[in-house]
Amino acid sequence: MSLLFRNRPSSASGAKKNNLSLTKRFVMFFVHNAQQAVASLGELTRNPIASLMTMAVLGLSLTLPATLYILVKNTDAVANEFQQASEITLFLRKDLSDTQIQTLLERLKLDSQLDAVRYISPEQGLADFKQRAGFGEALDYLTSNPLPPVVIATPGELFSDPTQAQRLLQNLEKQREIEFGKLDVQWLTRLQAMQRLVSDVFVGLALLLCLSALLIVGNTIRLNILSKREEIVIMKLVGATNAYIQRPFLYTGIWYGVVGGIIAWLATFLLVWWLSSSVIAITELYDGQFRLAGLSFNEMLVLWGIAIGLGLLGSYIAVRRHVLSIEPR
Amino acid sequence: MIKFDNVSKTYAGGHQALRQVNMHLQPGEMAFLTGHSGAGKSTMLKLISLMERPTAGHVFINGHDLNRIKPGQVPYVRRDIGMIFQDHRLLMDKTVFDNVALPLLIEGYSIQEARKRVQAALDKVGLLSKERHYPVMLSGGEQQRVGIARAVVTKPPLLLADEPTGNLDPKLSMDIIRLFEEFNAVGVSVLIATHDLGLIARLRYRTLTLKEGTMVDDGLQEPVV
Repeated sequence: MSLLFRNRPSSASGAKKNNLSLTKRFVMFFVHNAQQAVASLGELTRNPIASLMTMAVLGLSLTLPATLYILVKNTDAVANEFQQASEITLFLRKDLSDTQIQTLLERLKLDSQLDAVRYISPEQGLADFKQRAGFGEALDYLTSNPLPPVVIATPGELFSDPTQAQRLLQNLEKQREIEFGKLDVQWLTRLQAMQRLVSDVFVGLALLLCLSALLIVGNTIRLNILSKREEIVIMKLVGATNAYIQRPFLYTGIWYGVVGGIIAWLATFLLVWWLSSSVIAITELYDGQFRLAGLSFNEMLVLWGIAIGLGLLGSYIAVRRHVLSIEPR
Repeated sequence: MIKFDNVSKTYAGGHQALRQVNMHLQPGEMAFLTGHSGAGKSTMLKLISLMERPTAGHVFINGHDLNRIKPGQVPYVRRDIGMIFQDHRLLMDKTVFDNVALPLLIEGYSIQEARKRVQAALDKVGLLSKERHYPVMLSGGEQQRVGIARAVVTKPPLLLADEPTGNLDPKLSMDIIRLFEEFNAVGVSVLIATHDLGLIARLRYRTLTLKEGTMVDDGLQEPVV
């Protein structure tokens, strides 16, 4: 394609290319890109220590967020087990007749917000109390049963988190038959707030580490570009477009990400393996059955994608700034 | 082929390199551009190859106003110009073959497609036997010929040379000029900037003379015998 000389025969390839089918040209585009990708990989192996160090920085920067993510994921799993079990205890008025209690129970059972409803009569409550609390003989001195009838309701899945359960409780308390209800939600709210704090801290930390990885890749590529300044000037003089000059550097960034991601996998596996023995030691003290879950296949792919993305973005930022600014003088 | 229309160039800092230069190089013409160092020879070549833009006036190549060329189109303009430099500007870590193939690869040729043309260009400058050598293994004159092979491998209609014989002895300089004559004979326009007046005197080509940024002689006053 000649801009100034319309019939210039010299760009034989250009003229020939016009005869090439669209699919052939499409294939050739990928062939050229693959060639450049391989060429920039070859360039990296010429300087293996320096390249590996940048890849390791990228990989290790991602290892910490990945490990933190695994820890958050596992605590979430543990905490969710507790949350699912939340129950609402409803204390009924003592002066209710049996039929009134039955109607209430029917009503509650039809409530779609509740999963299960269990009734504990005052007699049964007293019996349980005697058995469990060890007050057996003392309770015998009571002349009348002081316990109210109790309904234990389990909220449906959608209403099991603390705020929803609290709202559900307030609605239930409006019922005439119910004296008051109790949801032991405070510790759940605290646990959830803690969880949120920890995961927020981890997200912040992860973003900072990703940013630093980005800057390191960008800076490495920048030095790379500056060391090839003369070569870039010559390529521009013989008619190379910016895109052509940029491509090898972008591929270098991608390769940093590809290898850095694999380093992140390995380091994360090692770290999780190392932590899991101490985690198991703790859970054994609490009689718990717990296994630390590592990265799933999809999460590994996401981690790899993030590494490659960071490599590409870092090199893109450097390339945009510096390849444009290098002009023949 | 190349036309300067009242072109002035003032560099940042106030140095006025060219003052209202007019000239016209015909298609297929070969000419020398001469003058003392700092007279504006390099600036003229830089304006043609779009390394600089004029402060005032217009530069035309084949009737196209270069002021209208957008930055993104500059590489495509340079592909139409074969450029030769005093300091050769070769890639030192690439072989002679790779250096000459560079413009073809940039245009999208595959190595296989490029091989024949690279070898033809190297054969033309007499360096076919050294295609596997690196530039440092070559003499100055040979390096300059690699630069020429790279400039002509895409068969551009226009050749620009900035002091191509700068560091060469008279015999080698003459060889280089003979090469340019061969390309000119097949219709390529050639503009050679040089301060080697001895060389110019031995040849009877149109000579444009610059003095402190002004075209004092566009070579058309004295009839060529």
